[in-house]
Amino acid sequence: MTTKPNRSLPASFAVHGALLAASLVMLYPLLWMFASSFKPEEEIFTSASIWPTALNFDAYVRGWRGLDVSFGVFFWNSMVISVLSVIGNVISCSLAAFAFARLQFRGKNFWFALMLGTMMLPYHVTLIPQYVLFLNLDWVNTNLPLIVPKFLAADAFFIFLLVQFFRGIPRELDEAAMMDGCSPWRIYYKIILPLSLPALATASVFTFIWTWDDFFAPLIYLNDMGSYTVQLGLRNFVDSTGRSDWSGLFAMSSVALVPILVFFVLFQRLLIEGVATTGMKR
Amino acid sequence: MTTLASPSVAVGGARWVRSLRRNLPGYLFLLPWLLGFLGLTLVPALGSLYLSFTEFDLLRDPRWVGAANYVRIATDDPKFVASLYVTFVYVALSVPLKLALALAVAMLLNKGIAGLPLYRAVFYLPSLLGASVAIAVLWRQLFAGNGLVNQVVFLLFGVQGPSWISDPDYTLYTLVVLSVWQFGSPMIIFLAGLRQIPQDIYEAAQIDGASKVRQFFRITLPMLTPVIFFNAVVKTIDAFKAFTPAYIISEGTGGPIDSTLFYTLYLYQEAFAYFRMGYASALAWILLVIIAFFTAFSFLSSRYWVHYDD
Amino acid sequence: MKQPQMNRRSVLKAGAGLAGLAALGLPASAFAQERRLRMYWWGSKERADRTLQVNKLYQNTYTGVAIDGETLAWGDYWPRLATQTAGRNAPDVIQMDYRYIAEYARRGALLPLDPHVGKGLDLKDFPPSVVDSGKVDGKIYGISLGGNTSSTIYDKDAFAAVGLPPPNLDTDWKAFAKLMAEFTKAAKRPGYFGSQDGGGLEPIFEGWLRTRGQELYTPDNKLGFGEKDIEEWFAYWADMRASGGCVTPELQALDKQNVENNMLTLGKAAIGFAHSNQLVAFQSLNKSKLAMTSYPTGGPGAKPGQYIKPSMLFSLSARTKEVDEAVRVLNFFVNDVTAGKILGVERGVPASAPVLKGIAESLDDLGRAMADYIAAMNSRVGPLPQTPPGGAGEIQVLLRRVNEQIGFDRLKVADGAKLFVSEASRILARG
Repeated sequence: MTTKPNRSLPASFAVHGALLAASLVMLYPLLWMFASSFKPEEEIFTSASIWPTALNFDAYVRGWRGLDVSFGVFFWNSMVISVLSVIGNVISCSLAAFAFARLQFRGKNFWFALMLGTMMLPYHVTLIPQYVLFLNLDWVNTNLPLIVPKFLAADAFFIFLLVQFFRGIPRELDEAAMMDGCSPWRIYYKIILPLSLPALATASVFTFIWTWDDFFAPLIYLNDMGSYTVQLGLRNFVDSTGRSDWSGLFAMSSVALVPILVFFVLFQRLLIEGVATTGMKR
Repeated sequence: MTTLASPSVAVGGARWVRSLRRNLPGYLFLLPWLLGFLGLTLVPALGSLYLSFTEFDLLRDPRWVGAANYVRIATDDPKFVASLYVTFVYVALSVPLKLALALAVAMLLNKGIAGLPLYRAVFYLPSLLGASVAIAVLWRQLFAGNGLVNQVVFLLFGVQGPSWISDPDYTLYTLVVLSVWQFGSPMIIFLAGLRQIPQDIYEAAQIDGASKVRQFFRITLPMLTPVIFFNAVVKTIDAFKAFTPAYIISEGTGGPIDSTLFYTLYLYQEAFAYFRMGYASALAWILLVIIAFFTAFSFLSSRYWVHYDD
Repeated sequence: MKQPQMNRRSVLKAGAGLAGLAALGLPASAFAQERRLRMYWWGSKERADRTLQVNKLYQNTYTGVAIDGETLAWGDYWPRLATQTAGRNAPDVIQMDYRYIAEYARRGALLPLDPHVGKGLDLKDFPPSVVDSGKVDGKIYGISLGGNTSSTIYDKDAFAAVGLPPPNLDTDWKAFAKLMAEFTKAAKRPGYFGSQDGGGLEPIFEGWLRTRGQELYTPDNKLGFGEKDIEEWFAYWADMRASGGCVTPELQALDKQNVENNMLTLGKAAIGFAHSNQLVAFQSLNKSKLAMTSYPTGGPGAKPGQYIKPSMLFSLSARTKEVDEAVRVLNFFVNDVTAGKILGVERGVPASAPVLKGIAESLDDLGRAMADYIAAMNSRVGPLPQTPPGGAGEIQVLLRRVNEQIGFDRLKVADGAKLFVSEASRILARG
């Protein structure tokens, strides 16, 4: 850790007091959502209380049964897509980022600008051309439109993120390696990647969570209920025109948070340990 | 970045080989992205550019209308102006506030405080819940006229607050608060950036007797500029494209009185509610130009304040 | 265009590596069956349960066919349908809304059903007006899954508590305003009012116009009313807000025109306006007992303001490969009594008299209230209005916005009327 906690006791109290108060503001919605999963339906919209009036697990049983298909299937589908996306994103984006951050080649700035440009177009207008493209590839109603782009570094956010981190790694390191006759591949694999664990962990966390939370791409590309993701399943509890299962929604929303929380907690260790274990010297 | 000046070679073949040898590794590393870009991203993007010059109702074939959509946007579309204004206000307020908060909390959480991992997870939580239907329901309850927020305001200041979520004078700012509250992802990126600053620099500074404040301005901030730059650029792009908060809070209406009619929400209405995909595509490309302008500006300015180690 | 469902095997063979990995997420059922139909509807979980049950019943009755159900909530439903239709990959059987059927039919996305009537599609138990309700430009594009009409839903307990009679089928507009003001006074609760603000709601505006013998749109797609008319309408609600009869603009702006944010559900008013088939949804989110009556009327001798419209229709994609099969499914949903019993009145009151009779005894209290209301309204409704022109959806949003502008004191009533007429005409001209 950076510095030893050598603060005075009152200062320490103040810091923790502030953090706890802030935590309450941050946690409130989660607590409310959790409490609402136990509330009778007619209380949900009139009460912001986080104390359930009764402890009733009906909503969890009802919610887990899901639509025709159990929620377990939705979890499995989301898990497959999210895990593959993490793998694909980390590999392909770190490759591209290495090229942009460390290698010299003609047209680099041109491609970099185009890469950034792909972040700027609202996806609603590329939706139909992209749908037609995937339809012609026969990928609609499979997971391919959700996964293949991740293996092809389609999300420029992550390339840009890793570029920024790679550029922070002292250049003497790879110049020295270059002198020793190391290939770019070895520099990428042996120097850059190990030194970027916090950044790679960050990319993994975001990829997992954002893929897990995404509903628009699954909404458009997955037709069969058996292939629905958690987010699609959740959106079926509620319909603005008719009778909805609100406590079921809140129950399953709470359950749906578990995997991303677990993933976050696991990877945040990596995020913290990153530098300590590399023992980087300048 | 330093590029080695390539020695000019007289022999044609050798030059070609040399050029290949110099450029090939870069393109090999870039290959997955290039394949994806050319195969999956470029075609739909060009498709939408083409559609922006057509009248396309989604169901029938597009009909070429030349620049008519662009002309209409420029001359005869009050909603374009209104939605652009809403979006600018949102960008100008939410991005600096969110980044400042994210950096402050990241700094705080980078210190050796007991229960750190827990705090980190807790502060990231709102970003996990982000765009869910559940949050929309709660947010409306908290910020309504007799909601919890106003009860707290009444307790503290003894005044009755307005309905933050449904009074057109305040709704946009409430959405800014929602966005700032979800500062989790820039916070994590700042944290990762802080972790990557080699500790021995601080140790050296401490031996030299540099104060904490001096260390922050001389070491932390400069070393963090690549990450600050990244967060600023990405969050600005995101804020320009902000869609979900307004969509779920206003159920897609942009109301009351268009006070939350974000640019992309307007674009979405045109595309999917009113079947004008051609027009929506033109709106999208104008947004792209606006964002590109701001991004280019940040890149130009970055030379003066972002410090890379190369 | 290729049929993607048929080709999953080849995709798997072809795209070995990645595809193989990704296929882990493919449902096993995707490889089975021979002939499949895709059916797509919006709605809640309850609707999904009922619909899937009927699909199972159908598959047991007519073997060799599999129906893939695809369901989403209303807001998500339309972007996906538009995308699939644009990609020429629409589902075979599509649940349609009265508002959208013309948009889809006129653009050639739906199959005209006239050639199948009497040959696979039995409409002899359907009243002609119901058959007409699925027509666009003279051809049948949709079959009603249930009848529906607008309604005033009120809190029975609240009216009993203050000792005022709730509105009934004969309450006219004037009496309604008076009653609401009295209610708010009698209820004596800050922030609680008689009615929601209906000034920005198109269905109720239409109901009001029709009691005056006017329509929203003329047959040549112009506004069917003038500036003076809508000025009177905005003034009616401005007076209502002034008298305390309806909620404040800040409260009304919370209402997103759905059940969960209705003023009635949020406990801000004793009256909300909704479609008759939403009674069940309202009751499930309200503690007190709810009941239903019509919109206020134009008084004795005035024309009826309301009409029975299909709450939902089933349409077929113009590109369906399995036309006969799809027609048979459609027929099963609207004519089979066992199917009708499963579906109940969840989508509205069935149009076919034998089906309605067959399911009558299996209805619960709310279902019966709904059926009774439709039965009582049958003699009090007018003909269907003409299909709305292009841009009607945008004008609906405009009405709401102008009513808000007046409510929040951004516009005077007369200026609001002027603004509405000029903007609506612009929208109609653009189409």
